[in-house]
Amino acid sequence: MKRKITAAIAAGAALAVLAGCSSSSDGSTSPTAPSTQEAQGQDITFWLMGGDTPDTLRDYLKTAYQKATGGTLTIEEQDWGDALAKLQTALPDAANTPDVTEVGNTWSPTFTNVGAFSDISDMYEELGGDKLLPSFVEVGEVDGAKYALPYYFGSRYVFYRKDLYQAAGVEVPTTLPELTETATTLHSDGVSGFYIGGQDWRNGISWVFAYGGDIATKDGDTWKATLSDPRSIEGLTELQKLYQAASNAPVTESDSTPWENINTQPKAEAPEAATIIAPGWAHWSIGDLAPDPDDDTKTVATWNDDVFGTYVLPGVDGGVAPVFAGGSNIGISAASKNQAGARELLKIVFSPEYQKMLGENGLGPANSDYTSSLGDDEFAKALIESAQGSKLTPAAPGWAAVEGSGLLEEFFGKVNGGGDIAALAAEYDAKLEPLLNQK
Amino acid sequence: MSAHTPVQRSRRRRRSAVPYALVVPALVALLLGLGYPLVWQITTSFKKFGLAQQFGKPPEWVGLANFSALVDDTTFWGVLVRSLVFCVVTAVVTVVLGVLIAQLMKAVGRVTRLVLQLSMLLAWAMPVAAATTVFIWLVDRRRGVVNYLLDLIPGVHMNRFDWLARPGTFFLVASVLIVWMSVPFVSFAVYAGLSQVSGEVMEAAELDGANGWQRFWYVTVPVLRTVFAIVLLLQLIWDLRVFAQITLLQDAGSRAGDFDLLGTYVYKLGAAANDYGMASAVSIVVLLVTLALSWVYVRELIKEDRAR
Repeated sequence: MKRKITAAIAAGAALAVLAGCSSSSDGSTSPTAPSTQEAQGQDITFWLMGGDTPDTLRDYLKTAYQKATGGTLTIEEQDWGDALAKLQTALPDAANTPDVTEVGNTWSPTFTNVGAFSDISDMYEELGGDKLLPSFVEVGEVDGAKYALPYYFGSRYVFYRKDLYQAAGVEVPTTLPELTETATTLHSDGVSGFYIGGQDWRNGISWVFAYGGDIATKDGDTWKATLSDPRSIEGLTELQKLYQAASNAPVTESDSTPWENINTQPKAEAPEAATIIAPGWAHWSIGDLAPDPDDDTKTVATWNDDVFGTYVLPGVDGGVAPVFAGGSNIGISAASKNQAGARELLKIVFSPEYQKMLGENGLGPANSDYTSSLGDDEFAKALIESAQGSKLTPAAPGWAAVEGSGLLEEFFGKVNGGGDIAALAAEYDAKLEPLLNQK
Repeated sequence: MSAHTPVQRSRRRRRSAVPYALVVPALVALLLGLGYPLVWQITTSFKKFGLAQQFGKPPEWVGLANFSALVDDTTFWGVLVRSLVFCVVTAVVTVVLGVLIAQLMKAVGRVTRLVLQLSMLLAWAMPVAAATTVFIWLVDRRRGVVNYLLDLIPGVHMNRFDWLARPGTFFLVASVLIVWMSVPFVSFAVYAGLSQVSGEVMEAAELDGANGWQRFWYVTVPVLRTVFAIVLLLQLIWDLRVFAQITLLQDAGSRAGDFDLLGTYVYKLGAAANDYGMASAVSIVVLLVTLALSWVYVRELIKEDRAR
């Protein structure tokens, strides 16, 4: 039984050997771009990260690709947790690489700088040109050449229980310090005023951004970690205050399934939390819970406007706080043998039909011409409003290693656990810098 | 054969090549399957190998730089010490429990023995992920059975106690899980070995006035020394490099460095933080520690073999 673990480790090492033995990452660089002619009959694989893209969109892509080239499109979903390891081992290997892959926007700089993607600058104008989200295009380009383009954008905003707010007599807060006060008033042993995990840095970072701080900034040619910046420390102090006063979440929890905490579970009297912060697509899982009529092992949540509401995270002095910009980029693997087919798929993804479908399903389309397809219900409004100020993590070549090492989870966990923020910030700045600058 | 057969004749007896021919396919398979990655790991531990090298950039040789960085790295020493303590404690508990259960199997009647062996077998056969998932449910802070039962004791408040949030209780849960999964193997191996203990010698010892413990220590243990040694050795090696249970428990708890043992530490360095050179260096250190741990036992086994 434990021999299986040994075998798994050996297999993992063998995989890495195979990856290292593969041909160079140049791929097929023809003098003229591959045409639609060459794409005929090519079967390609598209990797999606997590469950963000719903089934209707996946089916549309498969049918459209079949019509355009006659080839088969296979879509494989990768779990966000394993995706980094899988991308590293599959992308360099021509025999195993996905032809097109979605990649988290925070990972784009790492993979683009290391040469994982094909140069698609020649397709840039055709796919949308400067209508594509500028900040996402930036993280996908090196020296002006475009390698990974935006796929969709998302954002995070606050969901709250109107019934609990009314019962406690509190209003929706308009500034960030007010939010801490509101949450403290709502807080009790059984119900968190504001539920946020101790190690949840993707949500917690909004406090650092709101006070004007950042994780790292570029100083000339190197990246300097700025957790010790006084503005970052101010934001972290406010976050620590909020966590200690108003959250029952364990100090070791990160941001996996926040919506579970705001729904009232069957047989429970109250939900786990009065307020949560979550990505926009979480609204599909929030509401009154009832068994699914088609399959009674599953529950379905139906949004109830009297019980649930949304608001964007307020800034320090009002307005909108900068939240962590969600979303993904998309790129063609440089080692892929089906460059023509991959380019056809990109054309389908950036077509008006698909962009509108993204919007209709709550995923912000890459092409700003179609943002209106998000609709104008409260979720669309909250998404667009919170996305306007959103910030990305540092576009450092080594950023994916920072995320993989779990250093930010550790740091936020220790801060929220009540540690000395200045000392911890200095310690973790020292740990982050070598990873950020690794080439 | 005459009584004065010269010694030279036995030396000139031709040795058959068949045994060697039979071993060659197995050796080749072993060399390819385990040898190739092992050689890669050894060579990579002397290089600077990161994500860029994964994508084709040639790596540079840095000699012992990775190893000297390890000597200075307090995180690594923390993980190493933790792993050693964890593996020794877990292995010893596993072997002790396994031996006790084997003795029990010997002592009870047929039906009870069958029930005991079946339940051992079921625990042994359960896949790692399934067993770990069940343990995670058991120690869930709000809905877990463990907290519920402990709460029933007057004066104890365990509601919302998160077993996986503190390293101390985290490793306690991991240890219990691994002991639960490993005891069946030990108990079956020892039970098989117990059949070697001669019934007459036991009876003679009893007649001489030896009590249960003395019979065990002076009759059973000497006969089963090899079995105990092998079983303890295997448990030590497996528990030093345990990966699956720890990583699954970390998924439910926290991925912070305080909860790492050597297996997950190497994985984090390599596949997650892209530093394959350092990860290979740590793997070599683990290999050396494993060899050191097992050296004592292997030497004993060789000595015993020669004595026979």
